[in-house]
Amino acid sequence: MLGKLTWAAIPFDQPIPLLAGAIVFAALLAVIVWIIVKGHLPYLWNEWITSVDHKRIGVMYVLLALVMLVRGFIDAIMMRSQQAFAFHSQGYLPAEHFDQIFSAHGTIMIFFAAMPLVIGMMNFAVPLQLGVRDVAFPTLNSTSFWLTATGALLVNLSLVIGEFAKTGWLPYPPLSELTYSPGVGVDYYIWALQISGVGTLLTGVNFVTTILKIRAPGMGYLRMPVFCWTALASSLLIVAAFPVLTATLAMVALDRYLGFHFFTDTGGGNMMMFMNLIWAWGHPEVYILVLPAFGVFSEVISTFSGKPLFGYRSMVIATMAICIVSFTVWLHHFFTMGAGGDVNAVFGISTSIIAVPTGVKMYNWIFTMYGGRVRYATPMLWSVGFIVTFIIGGMTGVLLAVPPADFMLHNSLFLVAHFHNVIIGGVLFAGFAGLTYWFPKAFGFRLDETWGKRAFWFSISGFYIVFIPLYVVGLMGMTRRMQHYDVAEWRPWILIAAFGIIVMFCGMVCQITQLVVSIRMRHELRDETGDAWDGRSLEWSTSSPPPAFNYAVLPDVRGEEPYWQIKGRAIETQQLPDEPDYRAIEMPRNSPVGFITAVFCTFTGFALIWHIWWLVIVGLVAAYVTFVVFAWRNVEEFEIPAAEVAAIDRERRLARQAWLDARAQVSEPA
Amino acid sequence: MNDSAPDISGGGGDMTPGVSDVAQFSPRSAILGYALGLAFAIILTLVSFFIANTQLIWQPSIPVALAVLAIAQIGVHLVFFLHITTSPDNANNVLALAFGVLIVFLIVVGSVWIMGHMNDRMMPMDQIMQMQR
Amino acid sequence: MSTTILGLPPAGIDPYRVGRMGGGRSEPPRRHETGPAPKRIVVGYGFWIFLLSDIVMFSTFFAAHAVLRGAFAGGPTGRDLFNIPNVAVETALLLASSFACGLAAVAMETRNMLWTQVMLLLTGLLGLGFLLIEVNEFATLVAHGAGPDRSGFLSSFFALVGCHGLHVTAGLLWLGTMMAQIFVKGFAPRVYRRMLCFNLFWHALDIIWVAIFTFVYLYGVAA
Repeated sequence: MLGKLTWAAIPFDQPIPLLAGAIVFAALLAVIVWIIVKGHLPYLWNEWITSVDHKRIGVMYVLLALVMLVRGFIDAIMMRSQQAFAFHSQGYLPAEHFDQIFSAHGTIMIFFAAMPLVIGMMNFAVPLQLGVRDVAFPTLNSTSFWLTATGALLVNLSLVIGEFAKTGWLPYPPLSELTYSPGVGVDYYIWALQISGVGTLLTGVNFVTTILKIRAPGMGYLRMPVFCWTALASSLLIVAAFPVLTATLAMVALDRYLGFHFFTDTGGGNMMMFMNLIWAWGHPEVYILVLPAFGVFSEVISTFSGKPLFGYRSMVIATMAICIVSFTVWLHHFFTMGAGGDVNAVFGISTSIIAVPTGVKMYNWIFTMYGGRVRYATPMLWSVGFIVTFIIGGMTGVLLAVPPADFMLHNSLFLVAHFHNVIIGGVLFAGFAGLTYWFPKAFGFRLDETWGKRAFWFSISGFYIVFIPLYVVGLMGMTRRMQHYDVAEWRPWILIAAFGIIVMFCGMVCQITQLVVSIRMRHELRDETGDAWDGRSLEWSTSSPPPAFNYAVLPDVRGEEPYWQIKGRAIETQQLPDEPDYRAIEMPRNSPVGFITAVFCTFTGFALIWHIWWLVIVGLVAAYVTFVVFAWRNVEEFEIPAAEVAAIDRERRLARQAWLDARAQVSEPA
Repeated sequence: MNDSAPDISGGGGDMTPGVSDVAQFSPRSAILGYALGLAFAIILTLVSFFIANTQLIWQPSIPVALAVLAIAQIGVHLVFFLHITTSPDNANNVLALAFGVLIVFLIVVGSVWIMGHMNDRMMPMDQIMQMQR
Repeated sequence: MSTTILGLPPAGIDPYRVGRMGGGRSEPPRRHETGPAPKRIVVGYGFWIFLLSDIVMFSTFFAAHAVLRGAFAGGPTGRDLFNIPNVAVETALLLASSFACGLAAVAMETRNMLWTQVMLLLTGLLGLGFLLIEVNEFATLVAHGAGPDRSGFLSSFFALVGCHGLHVTAGLLWLGTMMAQIFVKGFAPRVYRRMLCFNLFWHALDIIWVAIFTFVYLYGVAA
């Protein structure tokens, strides 16, 4: 009846996960009870859970990412502190538990923190920047989000029911095969990633279609903001790379469930093929994450330097070049597996080549700042921090791209320091920059600058205190994922790194404080104009938060940086453009189909993990029925009457007029 | 994105794959197109199955010939069934297809190349077994 | 907000436009710049992108098969197992099914309910025939001890061909649902778009099959 699931699955003998699980469960329960008691449930259901509005979905993505970021960060604290203690001793985490922690840390950070962070920002900003009302497939978008959430839920479920993979964040065979990992850990990994992977793939399809087919009139390809270009490149990479992940994990699943011999060490399986296939996805994945991050920095740096982006076209070309070249470098993740000099040389060279377009981007950002009136608000601080940090990370990456050097450094903490250097310095900093940059657009008030700057300084100095020592011990020969060690020379560096993570923790506390303080002071931080940062792209032309339909009338784009033109025009003539002719707007109706599908996928995934076959079938049939019911509905859209559109937009125009008048008074000497 | 009657206009000089030019649709020529595609596909398939088993041609050329025939047939399907053409209103569809083909090529050829080298350099299994003894 | 832009670069806001021509270039909208595309184009294009991703997934299985095609582990080879006449019949059925699907699209375009349904039914039946032969082939192989757990070669064979078979199964499920929908709702715009996507899907499966019969079956017996 319940497959492999018994009471033994709950780790009563391990207090740490059980306690953590209990706390999380209690917190979750408290939140749910609070929601129900306060009567927020209908609001939550109607306005968020069933919402197909890209802005709402984007916010939910970012929220998921932040929660998972905290979870992954706790794992990181445990790893650093374990290594701080485990000199000539076993530390406080048994090896079995430690292995689960580093696997969960990587999996969660990449799939459920970084990906939702990036996709959330894409969701929120891309349709606004393109000057349109929604993405190409709004309901699919909601389904994508909920499937991602399902994956995150399954990974966290493994904390209390069963175990998580002990194989690292990529389940390398033969360790991940049934012979060596008989538990459910790898199964949790597989199904969590398969389900969320489908969600990510659909997001990619959605955004490629949106960016190529749904843009405001006049928004030609070379008028799109760079963030849209990077989102396009990232979505193309998702469409091209995630199927590889799906297929590869399906092969692992077939090996484990049906005795196939894809990657086994018997029966003609070839485990080296797993490394090959998984990295054919894995390297593009890095660029899926970092390209939109580059886009965020392009927006932020241009806005806060008060200048158009330097070398817009070279930026676009560099983005698309990275998009293609990123598919020709995957072997550098396994130089040491022994493909031989010629193969290694080709991939070493292509890896070095990919640094060129990235370097072009670096210079473009620096030249954008050059001669500009740079305002060091929090998003800009993150961006400058990124430039410095990412250059260091990129340089160590080019070092690792040289096969002989890689033979020395492979799987050492030098490598660990390198990829944290680019992912934290690139993706995470972009996440924080984008969060503070677009927060006023999403909620109508700014985040508190003081706490934001504190968070930045703690985070970046903590980052260096953690990872510079890891570079050093990596060069001294310390390998990754060590549960304990007894080399005295490493010890001081590991202790410094442990101190660094305390500093980073302070950064995290500052971030949370920033949110709390800002929400409490929201009236002082309110932005009435919709243009909180003197922005340049279209999203700043609508009100904050934008109405459901984004734009009362689709903007008519006549050049690059359309909003900057509109704004300049308004300042010059001291008046707003004439009031447009308001028409009724059709918007997609909310739909619970994404949420319901995800609920059934959760059951199916759980059932697959625990071999509860009847539940698998029930879940699949239910998902199919959900889709048929959805396909049968007659009314897909609702209409916002012209009067309502006019009322909402007139309010915006009033605010803009007030801003214009205030500005005129300041600039004219009294 | 008004969802009224299926717009036959083709919208902004843009086309979607799977549809021949809807503006001047005639059932006769459409059926003829499919029939032509079917005929080409049948011929190519027959040739493929024939040369796979024949002794008439130089044996080492067979895999190459089969690959060429398969690619030709895929082309026939794309043109006659999926209506992918080189006309400018198809540019987006063709670009997407080209991107997909590039990725497929990189993954398949890259994997075969890499794994071929790996296998060549792998110590034979019986020697590994002897070393473990 | 957008009606009175004159396209002149606003005075005094252009301090360092290095590398960009004037910034405020103003041109009339060109082709592809006329605003959001109609929904039919959007849906068709989106599905086309999805299909490309599906083809990339198949390419991964193809790559795995190419790598493992010699991994017999002492077991049977393609020459021992593959029944080429069988494959020829499968190919014929799938090709005919694809053709029927095309005719259904033509009937749909002329809004002919009867012929649309007949052709869709034919599409489905031919697809079902293909599927039954494939299931039979798999069952025979497993019964003769040549299941996917026998060798790496057979694993990759079963996974690749089985993945195609699963797609056909999903297609049949979709087809049945869609036929019911056409019957109930007629040629509503949404149904029309779904039909368009199904057409793409079905033809794409035929393309995959071309690759399978060539690179799996014919290569398997030739090599």
